[in-house]
Amino acid sequence: MDGDWDAVVVGAGMGGGMAARALAERGLRVLVLEKGRAGWRAEETHLDAGLADPVARLVRGFWPEPLLVDGAEVMAPLGCGVGGSSAFYAATLERPGVADLGGWPFPCAELRPWLERAEALLEVAGEQDPLGEPAALRPPPEPGPADRAIMARLRANGMHPYLLHAGLRRVAGCRSCLGRKCPLACKMDGRSAGIEPALATGRARLVTEAEVVRVLGEGAEAAGVEVRVGGEVVALRAPRVVLAAGALSTPRLLMASDWPPDPHGQVGRHLMLHLNETVAVWPGVEGDPSKAVGFRDLMVIGGERMGMVQALGVDAREGEILHALRGRLARRAWARGRLVWEAARLPARLAHRLLGTARLFVGLLEDLPHPDNRVLRDPARPGRIVVSYRVTEELERRRATFRRAMRQAFRGLRPVFLNREAEPNWGHPCGTTRMGDDPRVSVLDASGRVHGVRNLWVADAGAFPASLGVNPSLTIAALALRVGEAA
Amino acid sequence: MIVVVTGAGSGLGRALAREIASRGHRVAALGRARIEEATEGTDVLPVRCDVADPAQVRAAFAAVRERLGPVEVLVNNAAVHPRRDVLEETAEGFMATLAVNLGGAFACAREALEDMARRGEGRIVTVGSFADLSPLPASSAYAVSKGALRTLSRAMVADLADRFPGIVLSDWMPGILATRMGVEGGLDPAVAARWGATLALWRDPSLNGTLWEMDREVLPPRGLKGRLADRLLGRGRRVARRLDG
Repeated sequence: MDGDWDAVVVGAGMGGGMAARALAERGLRVLVLEKGRAGWRAEETHLDAGLADPVARLVRGFWPEPLLVDGAEVMAPLGCGVGGSSAFYAATLERPGVADLGGWPFPCAELRPWLERAEALLEVAGEQDPLGEPAALRPPPEPGPADRAIMARLRANGMHPYLLHAGLRRVAGCRSCLGRKCPLACKMDGRSAGIEPALATGRARLVTEAEVVRVLGEGAEAAGVEVRVGGEVVALRAPRVVLAAGALSTPRLLMASDWPPDPHGQVGRHLMLHLNETVAVWPGVEGDPSKAVGFRDLMVIGGERMGMVQALGVDAREGEILHALRGRLARRAWARGRLVWEAARLPARLAHRLLGTARLFVGLLEDLPHPDNRVLRDPARPGRIVVSYRVTEELERRRATFRRAMRQAFRGLRPVFLNREAEPNWGHPCGTTRMGDDPRVSVLDASGRVHGVRNLWVADAGAFPASLGVNPSLTIAALALRVGEAA
Repeated sequence: MIVVVTGAGSGLGRALAREIASRGHRVAALGRARIEEATEGTDVLPVRCDVADPAQVRAAFAAVRERLGPVEVLVNNAAVHPRRDVLEETAEGFMATLAVNLGGAFACAREALEDMARRGEGRIVTVGSFADLSPLPASSAYAVSKGALRTLSRAMVADLADRFPGIVLSDWMPGILATRMGVEGGLDPAVAARWGATLALWRDPSLNGTLWEMDREVLPPRGLKGRLADRLLGRGRRVARRLDG
């Protein structure tokens, strides 16, 4: 690990991978430090929320422990390994809305070339969004009969559906690895489109099972990081430090460091998620599950920010219905017994029999930044992600509006919502080291650099000043490429 | 395919190596003694190896990789069965048997998995016995080793199945054979080897974690509650599969 590095990148997910690639392709010598395991390239592991053992989780590239959310344990769909969460993502690479970025310190036009570059590197295929700006995309696969039926119905309801933008190369043997690691050179993620090309330059090195515990620096100058490798903590010096540990971990890392100063206490605040509104629809046509269709007619309703609606990529077969039922049961004290838990199989089976195969869609409701929703510092448990997150009244009001609009959009397809309570998407955290012009309410400047520090950047979703209402991965990649060029 | 058979110097292992080679696969036969003799007149690659010694196992697999290529199928067959009453057995003797039967199987599986995990595909068949359920007299170490092998397979399935669905593990109890370790008047090892070869060369992911006796699949026992649940949920009864000889 010793060596003359030009940059050290913390985290090998979508942000760290793309930043490392940009830095290495520029000719810099880059050291990437990843907390998780290297894993095996041929693995096909599904991200399994039910697996509790922390060792088994780390071996599989899952974040090892549940989050502590206001005292309650939540097992989040987060990765910890090469590719980070993107190793398991559904490869949905959607651009943020064109109208405005809602609170970002620069106009969308400034982000556009980076989004385009990210789309090219991630080999994004999909259909032009009829409501969006032109994009140079690879052609998507033909939609199946169920998707065509859904699109026709959505159009009849005045919506503008399109085939979602996805980073799947669809090589021979492609199994569209939604929710699981792709064993082929097919799914484009932080590993295949970031770390692997970075390593191929010969100028980058990846060290796994290397947990960065502190950022080192003085005054306006970052000096490097402290990293735990093989039970030993060593200091690593580099003229450029790029943090890409993810929106739940980069702020923890900054808070655990004695430097840089955070005079306005902004690090970790403004945590945003998406609120998943999951709906089952019945197109009346059978077919394989697909993550093909989405629409953006509901991004803004009555001047209020909502989000995009898209196929979830799984069918509501018995297992999904059961999962939804148990999710509801889990919130009720009387229902936590083993018997009730097992008995939930019967209504699930019945629902499946009666309703047949439904398609699941999800609305990604944009979350707004609140300073009290935040990642906390817990010195007693420095490795644990501890957060405070409340669903505000404002959010519940927008949820109701969004759900009404979704129901309207799907009329004729017998829409049934599978969640009643707010369902924060812990796989889409952002905003915890937000960019902004005013250091009193932000952590990073408009270039992604920590206010007042010359050589410390953040290249993950923590930089988002707004949560956008679309999948975050493409924007993370674009911002990381931008940091990789500027750093 | 590239197949490694352990304990191939005689008996069932020798027959398995020959049977699999006769079906057109490239086979490496691992054995302590007489391994060159056992493979004479065949295309089978003889590799001298005491599986109880991890260093020898590493060297043997390195030789197989160099001569044939990455290992795709492993038949873990090597075993010893010393007949010793528990009052005559020593702690050293007990552990020496485990070192061959259990340690050898793990060492070989570990080496084979190195190749299999890289490709995401592979097949391991472990030769088991009923000795763990109803131990024969004067067979404590053997019985324990065979029970442990079944546990080892289950443990490997727990570690690997969700990550590498293409790596498929099964246990196979060949029956009582007319070999040095079996009894006179037992089954001809050549007959058992035909079933074993079919099982080892069959790589369907649904075989992962299955147990086989002679040419039949042994389904896991289903209790009354389980059967009731199956009925209520309309799940069909599973039918045991067969191997062609």
